[in-house]
Amino acid sequence: MAAVGTMRVNDNGVSEAIGFMLIFGMIIVGIGLVTLYGYPLLLQQQVGADEKIMEKNMIVLQNDVKSLAYKTIPFKETSLKIGGGALTVYNSSISPSTLTIRNGTGFDYVNSFTSGELRYESVSSQTDISLQDGAVVLRRHAEPGSTMLAEPRWFYDDQTNTMVINLINMTSTNLIAKEGIGTVQMRLVGEPEYSSYQEPASTFLYLDYTPGTVQDYSVAWNNYFTKTLNMNPPTIAGSTRTYQLPTDTSRPVTLVIKKFNVEIKSI
Amino acid sequence: MARLNDDAQWIILMGFLISFSFFFLAIIINQSTVVGQTTAESVIEFPKNDIRDLRGIIEQSANMPYPDNATVNKDITVLSMNRKNAIVKYSVFPPNLPSNPHTTASIHYNNGVTTFYENWTSL
Repeated sequence: MAAVGTMRVNDNGVSEAIGFMLIFGMIIVGIGLVTLYGYPLLLQQQVGADEKIMEKNMIVLQNDVKSLAYKTIPFKETSLKIGGGALTVYNSSISPSTLTIRNGTGFDYVNSFTSGELRYESVSSQTDISLQDGAVVLRRHAEPGSTMLAEPRWFYDDQTNTMVINLINMTSTNLIAKEGIGTVQMRLVGEPEYSSYQEPASTFLYLDYTPGTVQDYSVAWNNYFTKTLNMNPPTIAGSTRTYQLPTDTSRPVTLVIKKFNVEIKSI
Repeated sequence: MARLNDDAQWIILMGFLISFSFFFLAIIINQSTVVGQTTAESVIEFPKNDIRDLRGIIEQSANMPYPDNATVNKDITVLSMNRKNAIVKYSVFPPNLPSNPHTTASIHYNNGVTTFYENWTSL
């Protein structure tokens, strides 16, 4: 082998055993690093993904409610995966927050309405996502604030000076909760309660919102009332926030309140 | 020295490229569900047929005599609010001869998502 003869290989210091140990050590260190840092990161991603999926699911459920309420569809069902927590129906009787709609002279159009809710409680990320009163709201346990992911359909029509308030009453025959894959079936019960009030000019309409003591979504609702519906900042008495509805008080006003009863058949 | 054999470096490079592209694809797919959701939602939300129905009825009832036209007007307003959750207000104006021989109507529709306004003129 004349061609190789010019190169001399000295492999006296090469040990197969040490080489193996070095490579093995590197592999073990690699696995260790992945377990230490990678795995928690992966779990966190999973929790985040679960939460995002549920946010989307809740918006899908909100669309179902919208279809029942505004499109006169009698029945809706949606299959979904509930990961990292449980989805629970809270009857309107257990609902923590209340709404009162009244005028300035003390007449109540709606007195202490409780909407009931469909609530996803994430165990792993300590987050609640709730479908209440036609809105999807989110709240983290550790922080005081809350945010609205999808708004309810309340609206004010400038031209006719009409305020339309859609109240959605979630009912169920009993307390239902579900983890994993489930199908949410809901239907509209009875005719929607439709009331239309014609009030003369200089009628002030007020909305009293009282959040639940633990399930406090007041920030989310406050943002909705003040930013989307352009109401003035509320006057706060105790835990009750009073908003003035954004109607033009110089003209006669029409207040339309529709109440839909949505029954959750099963999850 | 033995020559370094780097003929297969492209395999490793391709491996990197493919894994990165999978990563970005995953992000895009993740986004697409949200986009599809909102798009589908806005398509469903748009009350095209409601507005068409409403226009149809208004055109049909435009030449009705009083008090039938007033009754239809009131009924449409109430039914739109009750069934379709939409505020409807319209008024029909008879031809103003001789300057304007057309029947005209102003239509206002608002369901909280879509606001529609039209000054309709008969053909």
